[in-house]
Amino acid sequence: MNCKELAYMLADYCNGLMDPRLREELDVHLAKCEPCMAFTKTFQATCEKTRKLREEIEYAIPPDVCERLETFVRSAALKYPEKVEEYRDQVERDRREKVAGLVRAATSGNLSSAMALLAESHCAACPECREYFDALRNTGTPGAGEPPEGVRSHLIALMQALPPGEEFFLA
Amino acid sequence: MSTERWKDDEALLESLRKGAPGAVDELLRLYQGKIFNLAMSILKNESDAEEAAQDVFMTVIRKADTFQGNSAFYSWIYRICVNTCLMRLRGKRRNETVSIEEFMPVFTDEGMHTSPMDDWSKEVERDALNEELGRMIRKYTEELSEKYRVVFVLSDVEGLSNEETARILGLTVPAIKSRLHRARLYLREQLSRYLREGKAG
Repeated sequence: MNCKELAYMLADYCNGLMDPRLREELDVHLAKCEPCMAFTKTFQATCEKTRKLREEIEYAIPPDVCERLETFVRSAALKYPEKVEEYRDQVERDRREKVAGLVRAATSGNLSSAMALLAESHCAACPECREYFDALRNTGTPGAGEPPEGVRSHLIALMQALPPGEEFFLA
Repeated sequence: MSTERWKDDEALLESLRKGAPGAVDELLRLYQGKIFNLAMSILKNESDAEEAAQDVFMTVIRKADTFQGNSAFYSWIYRICVNTCLMRLRGKRRNETVSIEEFMPVFTDEGMHTSPMDDWSKEVERDALNEELGRMIRKYTEELSEKYRVVFVLSDVEGLSNEETARILGLTVPAIKSRLHRARLYLREQLSRYLREGKAG
């Protein structure tokens, strides 16, 4: 072992995680190398001092910062539940519109090719949706109201499966 | 980390999720000092640290619901803090930092020390020096680039394990160990120079 190797092994040496045979080798080097002994001792002292500093550290936060932070977080947290509700409503409205649009496009035969392909392969495996799509095509009018919940969730999943940038209808 | 803290965190997370009254106060009581200090040590500027701390707490409150219990709550909060601070740093002109390479030990081609070493380990045991050394350690730490500073602060100042630090920063444990070791070598060299100059002066 040389001094350079020793310097880069000190972390394990100091925290006692070193393999005993390596440790022995390191001790042999230390015993006959004065610079390394000084280096090791001062390295240990550095770690020790930092550790002490950590014990003494108080998580001081300036009183004015503390006050502003508390006021901000508390008032923002109060408003937060309303914001979540708003957001959820918005998402739900968007979804309903999209599903309605998809139903219209399917009824009038205006599905984009990507969407048609997705719907076709899905319907091959899902009788409920197959029946729904068949009914749409046969009647030629959009189904009254919203599709049944099971179908609706599949339609949403289908639209989410579209590659980014692809629309579900023909432009 | 103590089990005490773990229990506190579990209870806190649960009440945050439920939106229980007092949960936000408890979150602030337990973490605002830690978060502000961690932010300070990364951003080194009080008003930036304050804004970062606001962002951190808002993110924690918003995302308490989606937090997956596969890491400890405090390490999740620290990760949010580190990410928030690093994002802030990204947009800014970097503060002057020292190059850590200049403070790495120098060896000959054969891997021997090139010069004799002072052993000042006994000297720094004097309690009278504690305050001064503490100040110098802080100063030198602040001069490190954030790559090292963040690891050093989480490990040696916050007292987190290498595994915890690795999880928080999304790095491997060997990467953490290596950065931490270099930061300590740097600090040792800085202290050496400081004490040597002190003697000379």
